Amino acid sequence: MDKHPDPNLLSSFVRSELPRRRNREIVRHLLARCGDCCRVALRHLPLAYGGGAEPRGTWFDYGKSFARAWRETERRQDSLAAERSAAPELLRELLAQPLDRQRVLVITSTRHRSWSFCELLLEAAREWGYREPGRAIEMAQLGVEVAARLDPAVYGQERVNDLAARAWGVLGNAQRIRSDFLDADESFLKAERLLKQGTRDPIEKAQVLLLKSSLRGNQQRFAEAFRLLDRTVAIARNCDDAQLLGRALVMRGFLLGTANDLAAAIESLRAGIEGLDPVADPRLHVAAQHNLILFLSDSGQNDEAMRLLESSRPLYHEVGDQMGLLRLRWLEGRIASSLGRFAEAEQILRDVRQELIERDLGFDTALLSLDLAGLYARQGRSAEMRRLAAEMLPIFRSRDIHREAIAALFLFQKAAEMERVTLGLIREVSSYLQESRSAAGLRSHEPR
Amino acid sequence: MATLDHPELRESLNLLLKSSRPRLERVLRNFEIPPEDAEDILQDAQLTLLYKWDKIRSPESWLIGTVKKKCIMYWRKRRGSLCEAVDTAILDLLAIPQPPDQEKTELTCDLNRVLARLSTRCRSLLKLRYGLGYGPTEVAEQMGYRTSSIRKVTNRCLAALTRQLLAVGFDREPEGEPQDG
Repeated sequence: MDKHPDPNLLSSFVRSELPRRRNREIVRHLLARCGDCCRVALRHLPLAYGGGAEPRGTWFDYGKSFARAWRETERRQDSLAAERSAAPELLRELLAQPLDRQRVLVITSTRHRSWSFCELLLEAAREWGYREPGRAIEMAQLGVEVAARLDPAVYGQERVNDLAARAWGVLGNAQRIRSDFLDADESFLKAERLLKQGTRDPIEKAQVLLLKSSLRGNQQRFAEAFRLLDRTVAIARNCDDAQLLGRALVMRGFLLGTANDLAAAIESLRAGIEGLDPVADPRLHVAAQHNLILFLSDSGQNDEAMRLLESSRPLYHEVGDQMGLLRLRWLEGRIASSLGRFAEAEQILRDVRQELIERDLGFDTALLSLDLAGLYARQGRSAEMRRLAAEMLPIFRSRDIHREAIAALFLFQKAAEMERVTLGLIREVSSYLQESRSAAGLRSHEPR
Repeated sequence: MATLDHPELRESLNLLLKSSRPRLERVLRNFEIPPEDAEDILQDAQLTLLYKWDKIRSPESWLIGTVKKKCIMYWRKRRGSLCEAVDTAILDLLAIPQPPDQEKTELTCDLNRVLARLSTRCRSLLKLRYGLGYGPTEVAEQMGYRTSSIRKVTNRCLAALTRQLLAVGFDREPEGEPQDG
């Protein structure tokens, strides 16, 4: 190209819109050090990127850009509103079908391929996680199927990838609650891969990091869990998201408590609760308060624990979760015992123990029995201790207790028979059970 | 943020877009985004906000942050494509079978003049690429880079080359040893 290229051609060159042959001609021309053409080309690059001599942004008129973008957003609002109002009925219809049919429906029916329906499924999966993890997994798997079938032409490929990542994250979390750690690891890996192909929305990323930190906590990989939480905290601060920050701090507090750093756990939980909006997520708020009361009591701050328990009582009732209320009673019994109100404590703990046995909750029954054993030990009531220990093993053998935990309880029973149980031994067996439960992902009062 | 009904969502979003417009405009101006491309950036950010409305607690700061990030990505992509176009063009020019001797000499001379303005590292890398026709793996081996990082290093050198190619427009002369790449 001997003569100078047309300025429009140079502009297209800078925008990489030219065919290969044209590109070749222009590069050849520029290699020959044509100052004029370089200056024209540079006008199409910003100052910060080595372009024009002065910022061009000042003379740009963005009026039309804003107007057109808004028109498209408005148009999408209408279709999203239609989707949203149809989604609950679709979910009701789906849940009325047997599981196999549910899967077939979400795969084959185009009616189910909507963003709002997928979000609703994932919300439902989250809710089920508290009550029935197996069901939560099924729902999350349906969510994954729907997300994989969303039309990128309608929602945008990157946004679809974000939602698919969210679905895998919810599935991974449900698998964690059910102690399927290997499956959960796989799901989080898929979630992270999809996030990389998504919009790079930091909030979406933080939600996945938060759930993954919970998995790492259950796997006793605390250093990794805390690193993930640090990243979540940083994102929450950058995005000015107090709720996300609160959730991350509450999770950090819970993990610190599990790792026996009670002072740091209490500090983190307090900071987290301060940021949480109880209306937005009342369950999380109660779980956070519960752990704070528990760790206060464990660290000997019983008066404060009791005060906080009283002020939180209405919240437990508001949420209305039966297990939550039972745990509240259990906490009351523990604090009463620590405060030396033995008769009251014994009555409460016995009542709660009976309910836990009826609900088939082996780990919880074991832990509560050890609280009761501690109470007897402090009063020197060895006959009751022996009776309690003798009652424990037959119950646990038939329930959700791991072999190692049964062995620990067996040791405890032997010590009780020999009247050699000390508070130290009770604490040791109890903390062993807590750890083995945490590793098995069965800690049911952890924030989710 | 609780799920909003349709009219409420429309109103909240409307208000938000109105109140954040001056800040958004400032971001677009600072990044010198051409208006025709600004529309895509704004639309994409607004649609993501619409779909994720229930999950985003601070919509205004989220929107501003997202548009900023998209502006950075916009230029990164533009710069990347431009560098790729320059690279492909040079490789094509060098690959033309049997060009007249004088043309070939002139091309080599012009290319060397631009390369001479780059750092030693970039000059060596691009000479292997253009002069000897080495592929990325061979370049990595020759220069002692890991294969996994050669793409990144090459991209940096291509960016430096593209800058130098266009820098003639400013008549900038290199001061000492160029540090590009």
